[in-house]
Amino acid sequence: MELQMDRYAAQQNPVDFDHHSADHAANWPSAFAELRANNPRPWSERHGGFWIATKFKDIVSIGQRPDFFSAHKDYDPVTGAIAGGISIPAIPGLRGVPNETASPEWDGVRTFINRRFSPRAVEAFRLKAQQFAAALIDDVIETGRFDIVEDFTNPMPALVTMELFGFPLDEWRAFADPFHKIIYTPRDDPEFPNTVRGLDYFRQRVEEVAALRRIEPRDDLLSHFANGSIDGKPLDGETLYNLAFNILAGGVDTTTALTSNTLIHLSRHPEDRERLRSDRALMPLAREEFVRFFSPIHALARNVVEDVEVDGWSFKKGERVLLAYSSANRDPDVFDDPDRVILDRFPNKHIGFGAGMHRCVGSFLARIMFEAMINEVLDRIPDYQVVEEELVVYPTIGNINGWVHIPATFTPGTKVGARIE
Amino acid sequence: MKVRVDDRLCQGHAMCTLACPELFELSDEDGHAFVRQADVPPELAEKIEQAVRGCPEGAIQTY
Repeated sequence: MELQMDRYAAQQNPVDFDHHSADHAANWPSAFAELRANNPRPWSERHGGFWIATKFKDIVSIGQRPDFFSAHKDYDPVTGAIAGGISIPAIPGLRGVPNETASPEWDGVRTFINRRFSPRAVEAFRLKAQQFAAALIDDVIETGRFDIVEDFTNPMPALVTMELFGFPLDEWRAFADPFHKIIYTPRDDPEFPNTVRGLDYFRQRVEEVAALRRIEPRDDLLSHFANGSIDGKPLDGETLYNLAFNILAGGVDTTTALTSNTLIHLSRHPEDRERLRSDRALMPLAREEFVRFFSPIHALARNVVEDVEVDGWSFKKGERVLLAYSSANRDPDVFDDPDRVILDRFPNKHIGFGAGMHRCVGSFLARIMFEAMINEVLDRIPDYQVVEEELVVYPTIGNINGWVHIPATFTPGTKVGARIE
Repeated sequence: MKVRVDDRLCQGHAMCTLACPELFELSDEDGHAFVRQADVPPELAEKIEQAVRGCPEGAIQTY
């Protein structure tokens, strides 16, 4: 009876909402605008039932209360049983560390990795990022045509991530492709189980290379994982893999989506492209505006661990809530003219990297990769034009707001001799 | 006027260093912000105001 009462309470603000639907992928800005205006704290019965936080203020408040709204995921590698975590529905087969942990586990893990991602630490990757971007443009510049995703925005962050880990660069595709596909393949697609199995190779290589680094450490992330300790204990195999998976997941498809969306925008808005091309000092503000506007991480979940009220919104233990960062970033209570890209928008308190303690650890590296890619395009193929009728958006943008294909044409140019090495 | 960053709230969004690089800096340890000096010179007051309004976590306070 009590359960039914709770259920009834939860259905006060019903909405037929599925962030993985094709309709949502096509219409999310207007769908969220409608909810923010008329039903900002709705409940969806999809995927086992969940609340949706659409307002900036609610999402920051929830993000800042991890003691009540946990990201923790239970995952039993033997039985495969899962509960909690940050995805709705849960991604089977693994647990993100640290993004699906809670304190005190989270504290130890973040202390262990934060330093490797500080602004100063990632600055060391700027030249590599520029070199990889130049090499990838070299590969296509004489042809006058490329697929922005396949040839540029997917490989580039993957290459930098390989470099960061200490994996051989030529393995990037075997790592990036399965993750790319997990993100955009809907759960009910018959291909989904195969896609998840594509991660087996990543697990195998993490174990192999970590074993090598135990014998002969280098200055790379896998050496740090293989030889370091969290809370005084060396990492066990499961933690090491989950941590590596989380870094890969954070690194490879998010920056891809941000840069892909930005390059489509600049193709459609020549005035913005020319402004940014001729005034690169605008880049930091423009970059943050693109993170706000496109919100590559579309939405993530939290799990209510104890009954709690947030500014008049009651949550019951066991319920799940989806934090729609993409909606928060278009909230007119916070952003003037939210559905317009304003390159020099400032202040710009977007939460495209999240809010609260789980906020993105890799944002400084993401910013470096984004700038390297946009600068390379503006310098070398500034007249590129997206082939609109050949665009293919992700079948689901419920995880990441990205693109499968973005064919584009440009006036051919000459190579500069950059190499991927 | 003085300014401070509440480290319990700061998560390293780095909007304050965009607003006022003269006074805010990011830690090498975790990328979180701290102030080089609490005293705000009058010529930086407007930038500090932008930093306060631009912090998603509400971590910057003037006093």
